[in-house]
Amino acid sequence: MFRALYTAASGMLAQQLNLDNIANNLANASTTGFRGTRLQFQDLIYQEMVVPGSAATQQTTVSTGLQIGLGTRASASEVLQTQGDFENTGNSLDLAIQGNGFFQVKQVNGETAYTRAGTFHLDQQGNIVTADGDPLQPSVAIPNGATSISVGADGTVTVTMPGQTNAQQVGTIQLATFPNSGGLLANGNTLFTPTTASGDVIVGTPGGSEGLGTLQQGMLEQSNINVVDQFIQMIVTQRAYESNSKVVSAADQMLQDVNQMAH
Amino acid sequence: MDSGFYAACTGLLAQTDALDLTANNLANLSTAGYKGQLEFYRSLDASMANHHISPLNQAVNNFGVLGGTAVDLKTGEFQKTGNDLDLAIEGQGFFVVKSPAGIRYSRNGSFHTDAAGNLLTATGDTVMGEQGPVQLPSGAITISSDGTISQEGSVVATMKLVTFAPGTSLTAGGNSYYQAPAGSEQPADDPRLSQGTLESSNMNPVAGTISLMTLQRHAQLLQQALSIFHSVFDAAPAQDLSRVS
Repeated sequence: MFRALYTAASGMLAQQLNLDNIANNLANASTTGFRGTRLQFQDLIYQEMVVPGSAATQQTTVSTGLQIGLGTRASASEVLQTQGDFENTGNSLDLAIQGNGFFQVKQVNGETAYTRAGTFHLDQQGNIVTADGDPLQPSVAIPNGATSISVGADGTVTVTMPGQTNAQQVGTIQLATFPNSGGLLANGNTLFTPTTASGDVIVGTPGGSEGLGTLQQGMLEQSNINVVDQFIQMIVTQRAYESNSKVVSAADQMLQDVNQMAH
Repeated sequence: MDSGFYAACTGLLAQTDALDLTANNLANLSTAGYKGQLEFYRSLDASMANHHISPLNQAVNNFGVLGGTAVDLKTGEFQKTGNDLDLAIEGQGFFVVKSPAGIRYSRNGSFHTDAAGNLLTATGDTVMGEQGPVQLPSGAITISSDGTISQEGSVVATMKLVTFAPGTSLTAGGNSYYQAPAGSEQPADDPRLSQGTLESSNMNPVAGTISLMTLQRHAQLLQQALSIFHSVFDAAPAQDLSRVS
């Protein structure tokens, strides 16, 4: 019966974590380029009270064993890779990826990070940077005084200079993907970094054979969190938590009854 | 009289073990691919095997004990995740996993790849295909409902899906893994895989809560029986008979 108490406690802890995760997903329901996460749980070890196939008598064996599991644990958080909704902003430096790719940006520490948030701006030198000021990799510089910037579906960046009729190409935006994007590490600011689980980065031009997808100028990808789905998850989590707390009180009640028997 | 006392006591012990089982089923409500553990009871005949068993003899001497556990194989609900390497099996069947301890079977299709493209389970064990471990090329992967893995129209590998004859005893090993007696696996006929979907636990809070209530009432009943044996049958003669004078 004490097993039941600890098992239920592991279940309650798991559901608490689940709720924490749902809270973060919901809090980021309006974050551009946000990728939701889903917690994965696994059952713990089992206590073998009767091993199947052990001898029942001298001639026969038991066909089924008696195993009692000891609860659950959170094993992993997986980054959900569904596509978010697209919002038309009309801003020439707002870019959305239609496909599985990520933009590559250079963090302050010099390391490359990956993001789906395509809200780009220009810094003083005319380089394309993220909302936090991290430059896009490979860097693309827009010449001072350019009257229009256009980004093609294949990542080609062209600008029109005053007094010129022909657009000139100033750079190409490259995208990156991973063998297992679900294993990326979320670093905040909608930035991801690769891990051994995600595998090595695959870089290519948009629209290529790597399945990176194409670019859409003037659009932004919203959070891929579905609020309705998260609410359903929240209800399920709450009910599961409640069930586990019922186990605690049932075990407690049974122990109490046993204690009173001695009177 | 004493026999009844022990019968109630054994029954009470069986109920507390059953509570542990229910607790585990409810703790794993969010475990992908988890299959509930069902308890079954059997009676333990305390009378000697060669003696004549009368109905009265049986009523007094049959003790209810927790006989064993069986894996509840009913399918859980499907949840869409959108990840290409999340697989759910519709209907019967198991994925085959090569763990350090040997071949294991699982319904948890939350897979990922390592840097070399090997398909792994959430705990990092190799997932088996029809031709040995599954290795995937980088890029987008399509897995059709019959388990064929392809990339841009060319077949890469085939997922190995197996099933077991009814009545095969599966033992749970944690991590949503199950173990089966050697040689009992059979190729799944008509496997149906769903890409971008995961199967959730097949336990539900309502059924769990009801089984909790039943357990608790059974236990209470047995405790009452124990108290009656203790206070009425045992105590009364001991206290009252001595007063006869």
